[in-house]
Amino acid sequence: MQNETLLLYSLTNRSELLKMKRLKEDSQLVGNVLLEIGSMLMSSGASTHRTRLTMERIAKGLGYGIELLITQRALMLTITEKDQQHFFSRLKRISPHGVNFRIVSGISHLSWNVREENWSVAQITEELHRLKSLPHYPRLVVLGLVGLAGAAFCNIFGGGAIEMTVAFVATVAGLFIRQEAMKKKFNPYLCVFFAAFTATLIAGLAEHFQIGKEPDKALATSVLFLVPGIPLINSVTDLMDGNIQNGMVRAMNGLMIAFSIAMGLFAAKMILNF
Amino acid sequence: MILLDILSKSFWAGVAAIGFAILFNVPRRTIFSIWGLGALGGLIKFSAMYFDIGIVLASFMGATVIGIISIKMAHLRKSPPLVFSIPSVIPMVPGFFAYKMMLGLIALTSIENTDAYLQTLIETVNNGAKMMFILISLGIGVAIPMLLTRKESIKKSKFNKTKKVVA
Repeated sequence: MQNETLLLYSLTNRSELLKMKRLKEDSQLVGNVLLEIGSMLMSSGASTHRTRLTMERIAKGLGYGIELLITQRALMLTITEKDQQHFFSRLKRISPHGVNFRIVSGISHLSWNVREENWSVAQITEELHRLKSLPHYPRLVVLGLVGLAGAAFCNIFGGGAIEMTVAFVATVAGLFIRQEAMKKKFNPYLCVFFAAFTATLIAGLAEHFQIGKEPDKALATSVLFLVPGIPLINSVTDLMDGNIQNGMVRAMNGLMIAFSIAMGLFAAKMILNF
Repeated sequence: MILLDILSKSFWAGVAAIGFAILFNVPRRTIFSIWGLGALGGLIKFSAMYFDIGIVLASFMGATVIGIISIKMAHLRKSPPLVFSIPSVIPMVPGFFAYKMMLGLIALTSIENTDAYLQTLIETVNNGAKMMFILISLGIGVAIPMLLTRKESIKKSKFNKTKKVVA
């Protein structure tokens, strides 16, 4: 009799242990997927509030609770089971990849799929792989359309057709140099410096040889494609949401980029004045 | 004539928005809406400035309209609102003032004449203040629908009456 109870007890204990082990592994898996999602969102240009909401939504859909610390360059996550027994914490670095709204859009769909159609972790991982492999626009299209944007800025500031052409050429050259510098893995601010320098040099040459009526307009607008719009707008959004720290970091980053642009402009002007 | 001028400027504001949208790799289905939103924001900003409204308030008005409509667009084109709102307001980002301010700061390091120094200081502070307030007004303008409705997701927002599930 006593033996039987003992046997039963050890059996239930064993299954209990197995269950615990499975839960622990599950929470590790879910934690890692969540961290991956968070770091993808932060590096693709989502605001802190959006990253937090999406991660919490997905965690809730999978049946876990999470506590989060989001900074600009790292994520910290603690994940708990409903009964608060099995938990798991991990820190993940966020590597900046550059803005990519396809990923932000795709992860937004994914979070609702988890919530409303009960997607499993395997399905989420598969979708993340698909999102990462989504193509960028062809390089020529990017160069051409950003060049058009430069010409558009020139028009808005009151430039004529010749100034717009100058701004187009300067912008395309600047962006090309920036892409090449990014490929060679230069410091990001240095990339902006090179791009601003190239664009201003070309627009400045047009001014030097008096091409067009108001060549200074082309000079002023040829670097506008570099303006740190996302860091600055996200900075204000973060500050408004109460994520003061992240907001300050983003604002500082935006100012650094603006400073690099000014430096490039300054360098090109120095050369042209000699 | 002025109307034509404002319209053409708005058209080009939309083109600038598309340039940034491509740079940010937005989904293809959203590009035309981004052009429309950018042009609409430009139209509102330039019209407001024509009626002697300051650039800060004018940018705020443009950004607010973009923020509200991008929520509707988010549903129609099935992408989060920031995909529409950020590229559309970027033509309004005061990059011009930002680097004028930076150039002013650089110039301040080498000027010795007191009058010229004061003049540059005044211009630098003016440009910096304009930049900061335009940026704040853009950020708040884009966020206003969320701030007003106090909802966690646009799916529950009042600006978005049709309830549909995103597939």
